[in-house]
Amino acid sequence: MSRFFTGSDSSDTSSDAEELYSGEEEEEKSEESSSEAESEEEEEESGEESSDEETGARGVNRFLKEVSDESESEDEDRVTIVKSQKDKRYEELEGTIRLMENAEKINDWSVIASEFDKLNRQIPTLIKQNNGKTPKIYIKAIADLETFTTDTIEKQKVTPKKMNAAQQRGLNAVRQRLRKNNKDYTADIEAYRADKDGFLEEEVAEEIVPAAKKAKKQPILNLSEQVATGDEEGFTVVGAGGKVMQYTPESILKHLRTIIEARGRKNTDRLEQIRVMEKLLDVSATDYQRVRVLLTLIATRFDLSSGSTSSHMSPEQWKLAEGELNKLLKLLEDNRAVMIVQEGAEEWDDDEKPPPLSEANITRIPGSVVSFVERLDDELTRSLQHIDPHTAEYVDRLSDEGALYTAIVRTLLYMESLRPQAAKDKEMKIEHPCQPEENINRVVMRRLEHVYFKPSQVVNILEENTWKAIPPNLDSQTTPRSKPKDSATLIQTLCTYLFENSEGIIRARAMLCQVYFLALHDHYYKARDMMLMSHLQDTISNFDVNTQILFNRTLVQVGLCAFRQGLIYEAQNSLQDICGSNRQKELLAQGLQMQRYSQISPEQERLERQRQLPFHMHINLELLECVYLTCSMLLEIPLLAQIGSSPDIRKRVISKTYRRLLEYHERQIFTGPPENTRDHVMQASKALAAGEWKRASDFINQIKIWDLMAQSGKIKEMLAEQIQEEGLRTYLFTYAPFYDTLSVATLSQMFDLPDRKVASIVSRMISHEELAAALDQVNAAIIFRKGVELSRLQSLALTLSDKASNLIESNEKTLEQRTQGTANAFERGGPQGGRGGRGGQRGGRQGGRGGGGGPGGPRRGQGFTGGALGRAIQA
Amino acid sequence: MADGANAPTGADDISKTYDLLPKLIPHLDRHLVLQIILFLGTDDDEEGPSKEILQTQFELLKDSNMADYLADLYCKIHDTSEPPAEYAQRRDAVLQQYYSFQEHTAKMLELLDDDEVVGNLRSDKVANFNYLKETHGVTMDMVNSLYDFGQFQYSRGAYDHAGELLYRFTVLSTDNDKIAQATWGKLACDILRPSDSPAEDAQKWESVMEGISKVRENIDTRLFSAPLAQLHQRTWLVHWALFPFFNHEPARDTLTELFFSAAYINTIQTACPWILRYLAAAVITNRSAGRSRNTSGYAKQLKDLVRVVRQEGYEYSDPVTDFVRALYVDFDFEEAQKKLLEASELLRNDFFLCSVADAFVDAARHLISESYCKIHQRIDIKDLSTRLGLSQDEGEKWIVNLIRDTRVDAKIDYQAGTVVMNHPPQSVYQQVIERTKGMFFRTQVLSGAVAK
Repeated sequence: MSRFFTGSDSSDTSSDAEELYSGEEEEEKSEESSSEAESEEEEEESGEESSDEETGARGVNRFLKEVSDESESEDEDRVTIVKSQKDKRYEELEGTIRLMENAEKINDWSVIASEFDKLNRQIPTLIKQNNGKTPKIYIKAIADLETFTTDTIEKQKVTPKKMNAAQQRGLNAVRQRLRKNNKDYTADIEAYRADKDGFLEEEVAEEIVPAAKKAKKQPILNLSEQVATGDEEGFTVVGAGGKVMQYTPESILKHLRTIIEARGRKNTDRLEQIRVMEKLLDVSATDYQRVRVLLTLIATRFDLSSGSTSSHMSPEQWKLAEGELNKLLKLLEDNRAVMIVQEGAEEWDDDEKPPPLSEANITRIPGSVVSFVERLDDELTRSLQHIDPHTAEYVDRLSDEGALYTAIVRTLLYMESLRPQAAKDKEMKIEHPCQPEENINRVVMRRLEHVYFKPSQVVNILEENTWKAIPPNLDSQTTPRSKPKDSATLIQTLCTYLFENSEGIIRARAMLCQVYFLALHDHYYKARDMMLMSHLQDTISNFDVNTQILFNRTLVQVGLCAFRQGLIYEAQNSLQDICGSNRQKELLAQGLQMQRYSQISPEQERLERQRQLPFHMHINLELLECVYLTCSMLLEIPLLAQIGSSPDIRKRVISKTYRRLLEYHERQIFTGPPENTRDHVMQASKALAAGEWKRASDFINQIKIWDLMAQSGKIKEMLAEQIQEEGLRTYLFTYAPFYDTLSVATLSQMFDLPDRKVASIVSRMISHEELAAALDQVNAAIIFRKGVELSRLQSLALTLSDKASNLIESNEKTLEQRTQGTANAFERGGPQGGRGGRGGQRGGRQGGRGGGGGPGGPRRGQGFTGGALGRAIQA
Repeated sequence: MADGANAPTGADDISKTYDLLPKLIPHLDRHLVLQIILFLGTDDDEEGPSKEILQTQFELLKDSNMADYLADLYCKIHDTSEPPAEYAQRRDAVLQQYYSFQEHTAKMLELLDDDEVVGNLRSDKVANFNYLKETHGVTMDMVNSLYDFGQFQYSRGAYDHAGELLYRFTVLSTDNDKIAQATWGKLACDILRPSDSPAEDAQKWESVMEGISKVRENIDTRLFSAPLAQLHQRTWLVHWALFPFFNHEPARDTLTELFFSAAYINTIQTACPWILRYLAAAVITNRSAGRSRNTSGYAKQLKDLVRVVRQEGYEYSDPVTDFVRALYVDFDFEEAQKKLLEASELLRNDFFLCSVADAFVDAARHLISESYCKIHQRIDIKDLSTRLGLSQDEGEKWIVNLIRDTRVDAKIDYQAGTVVMNHPPQSVYQQVIERTKGMFFRTQVLSGAVAK
């Protein structure tokens, strides 16, 4: 009922001001795109307010332009539930305004503030319902409020009386929000201020329509069944009819603006906006409009997932976004000469007419294609993270990667085509020059990240399909179409491009990607050299967590590569940091690790979940463990044997993890047949330690997971060979004290090695002073020297002398540091003798390329990966 | 060393397979390359260098100013006695240029020959220049013309004169870039300067060494912030240094040290691993020279060498490095022996190494037997002799010499034809004494330093 009152209330003024109609008409024309007839109608309405019947019909007509008479006749049955929803909103709005006005009277600012907020919450839906027009009473309310606020503040300056704190806060809040809010409605407010009565008059005319309708329908509320259908029907038609009217090519930009303004607000129905924009896209006439609509449309699609709790985009939306992105790219490619999309461009303010398109003065549209592609990529990754990798759904989703890759390459092409424009801009010193270089780097990086972990056949297919999907008139400058499509060259080109043009994190990532790729394709030395020359191990802790993860992945891949090449020591060394830490899952971002005493907050856990790699990028952890343990076995068992036999025990541990497992295994009273990889390796270790190389070899070969590696047969062969050699060494270490002489032939028979190989291994051991023995060439035998075993006292004396000289050395070093090297009196380049000859050589070999790494080099690296990441995760 | 493409006969497969010339050329000056190619020529039959080598020479020098020589080459290549006119023209042009240069620099040179003027020069370059400008009206252009003239003379093949001019230029000029270039030029001139007597030869190489150290200093200080340029120049220097390396005995130690220094060993490993052949050869041949002074230095060099050779095994290998690997990494003596044979063949055909080939083989044998004796207790002389590539008698003599030289505790069992080695284990007491030897002294020095 209040509805009606307001209507008649304002009609008082309206009947007084009949002469103003013409003026009002003008105003309306400029503000709304309503037709002439409509305003005439309004005139009539306000004039003959008494004839409710007629106005009601007309009012309906207004909304039912395309509805036939039939529907009119149905009017009787129509029910107002839905309509009244709209009316209810109006009522609510009015109620709010009234409350606000009341509060104004008593200067209750906290109420005003809360009511004002409520008002603003209500208004977007109303605007939408009102065909994009802002309700007049709202304008009036905010205009009045603004005046009132300024007045209050003025007054406050004069009166000494202070408001209480809550009030003051309310006032300030309102003032600030008003200032922001009213900007959007400046024009309306101006109009209102200029002509308060006229402005409201018009509103009345508008108000009347629903009011009248309501009045008319009030009595017919009984027929509920028919009502629902009839009403719905009527409503949709109205909606469609009304909207089609609005969506003319001319008004597109204005609609877009409304949508953009609504972006980020609460209660905006994004799906609705998307529907609107899809229609806009259909009606848009020029490419400029299409580009504008697409830019907003894609952004809104991405918004769909960002606010909501469902953390990834639905595949359908993703595909639509992907399709629209391609459309956008196509448009941009076709109109390259006249318009470009770039970041930081000036917005075109005039919604009425599109900017003139000409080659001389290129139109710049604010936006970023690269960001879209990146977002698309991220969304795909995110959705892959959430899908169970063992389902068909995952595979389906993964097949979208091809389309994504095409989009990435296409964006790259587009960005490259902007280069001439950038050069021109630079010449002309334009305020916002087009700067494609940084964007190109980003896109190239994305492209690289989609190929670096894939075997080359896969990359080749991907590339081929991509080029097929891209129109033949486009070609890339970085990776031309005509170039041989070899995946290695592709990676090489992309990386080289990034090395030359980018810096910091992108460059580091490019390097890691290339190393990863090289390692994956068995170029161990190249990969290792690049890894060392990058010097990333020193600085990796300063990078972000994702790069650290990439670094860890690369490190592991290099280790696996070394293993495939039969370089056991190198493999173990590379894998040590990751596998020895017991946190492989975390360090490689391949699943969350449940830790017993973890104090990870939900927030950290969420972050970690976000970092997880999608399943298809994973490195097989079981295989990794298997390789690591096998390597450790081959290194540790001879070492253990050596330590066991020599009295002067220097505790040197290569792999703590392995030792622990071994100890655990030895503690077991009953050992059954091996079940998992670990058991296999442990039993093999035991056999190897006992000199039974064949059994050890069998155990290792039984491990099923080797089949996952390429050329598993070769790897097994290599392992068997290694086991033979290490078995021989272990045997010699273990049993040397019990022999006087040992024939080389016997040994070669025992270990199934050629005589020459045995002699070579024994020679090496003798030469490195690992074995107190000599060869007898005539009899082809090893003669063990006796009496070399030291007594306890002797070995202690040796240890003491060692420690003493270490002490002196460290003293000297300390002094030297104190005096900043001025006291060079102790420069004694005395060689440390044959002490640890083997160890030293090994260390030196690793450090080599890095430039003076020395034996300390690889060791030092131990802490960085785990430590750095750990810290980052805690932080 | 023979270039596979250019030597029709004479060079055997080994030297062809491991030919380094194509790798060396990019890092050498064309005049330096000429020397190597000339060597290839002399190495051949009596009837003179083959056509192909001549052709190579011709191509090499086409852009230089050695018009006469070119004409001569042309005649030889095309079997005519009448060189085409263009060479005469070129000769005239060159001569004309020569005269004009001479004219330009005449005053300068005159001044610099004047004792009085030279006497007035100090170490400060700017002051010198000002002095010359004020008293004798010398301009910067005149100094620079010295540089141009030097370059011209070098291109003409008048290395001696060119070297002198460039030296004078370096003394006077203040332009650092040009000085750096002139220093390189001077180095090349010194290397190429013909020498008649051994004394002169020694002197020549002395100056070369001086040049090398100058260039090295230059690289270290001036290019400090440009690692890539530094790497390039170091690579060049390493290649150029090969000339004195094997032609001048005293230089070898210094150069080995230079090559083993951190910066240069890195350069070799990254940019030119083939230099390892020369380094290995040098280290091994150094044995006899090194022994007399300090064995520990030699052992260290050897250890370094083994390390580097092992590291670079995947990137570069030839018989020389293979030999080192076989002997010290794999302890495969048969393989080592085989590689030694190949290596000696290779060395004989290498421009730089031909002079040390015998010394190399000798030293390598020593190394083999040394490490063989260290490992074995009883050795069959016959077997060892074959391993060393000697007859049995020779082998016996060799072993006797070895026992005497190295004072190994060994005896020959003539009847059985074996050598019996006695490896006394180092006594524990000795070890402890060894380790604690210098402690007292060091502590004293330390306490003295603390007291200061």
